[in-house]
Amino acid sequence: MTTVALERRAREARSRAAVRAWQYRQRHHAHGVWFGLRRILTQAAEAYAIDAVEAGALLDEGMLAEPVGSKLEPPKTVIFVPQARLATLVSRRALPLRLGGEMLEARCIALVRW
Amino acid sequence: MEFRKRLLATLRAIEPVLRVEGVLVVGSEVPNLLEAGAASTLVVSQDVDIGVPVSVHAEVKRILPSLRGLKPSPEEPSVWLPETPALIEVNFLGMDPSRLDAADTYVLKDTVLPLLVFGPLSLIRAAPPIDVDGLHIPVPRLAGLLIEKLVTDRTGEKGDRDLLVALGLITLATEADFANAANLFVSLSGELRHTVRSNLTVLSLLDPRPGMPDPRPQRQAVAALLARLEATGAEQ
Repeated sequence: MTTVALERRAREARSRAAVRAWQYRQRHHAHGVWFGLRRILTQAAEAYAIDAVEAGALLDEGMLAEPVGSKLEPPKTVIFVPQARLATLVSRRALPLRLGGEMLEARCIALVRW
Repeated sequence: MEFRKRLLATLRAIEPVLRVEGVLVVGSEVPNLLEAGAASTLVVSQDVDIGVPVSVHAEVKRILPSLRGLKPSPEEPSVWLPETPALIEVNFLGMDPSRLDAADTYVLKDTVLPLLVFGPLSLIRAAPPIDVDGLHIPVPRLAGLLIEKLVTDRTGEKGDRDLLVALGLITLATEADFANAANLFVSLSGELRHTVRSNLTVLSLLDPRPGMPDPRPQRQAVAALLARLEATGAEQ
């Protein structure tokens, strides 16, 4: 009988804990941006790519851009939009709610809260 | 043979171990067992984890030779392999209430039953045992297991599978379970609270996987849990 495999798994668990501690210390820096983006996407029932003109119009109406968007490079304009207003955005294109290529490529994103 | 029958047959085969005070079924099979009649529709893995408090390790070890239908893996003797397709694999894990963090994970060395003692398992507390077809099954309280799954930092396929276990628990949780989970959350260190929140956001954005519960219909429940935990006032 050997405990080699168990020792390896214990080392892996401790290593992941060390990485987690580093990530926690980095939460207000670059690494935390990804958490911030996931967090606002979690709060969204729907997501849409929209064009810059319509995003600008939403901001002009007083809607707020989520701060996490400006921390990305290139920056994104991410705005929570009421469902009724969303329906008037002609450029809207539904995005799957996951950190996939479409979401990452979109420069302006309209989200609908739960 | 359907999965439920194999799961219950396996638990019946190790029932003498399950009757030792403090031993619990933990991990991915708990959501299956907590379904009505242990329906076992939330299959995410083909093995069952058994949590053994280090304080009863010797007692469990004495019982092992009497078990039938399973034998220890030569490569990893905390894993017991089925000798028939009617059973599934059993993984024994150690629980040590003096350890909480994954950074405190250690190996309890033993020639018969060595155990990986995984720190976050000490978040788990026993619930009243359930009875399925006359079988005594000690299960943990849902809230503790949910928080344990969410503080555990894992990567890749295994990590996603663990999060889907958390998803299964969320679908089964009652209001009291969520309240207990919030209380547990507040008791955690800032780092672990952040890990819980981070894992919930990952769970919310997971793609469906073949043969596993689809996370997309439960996104709102995940978001509600995240909001509830954040409303406790713990670190924003």
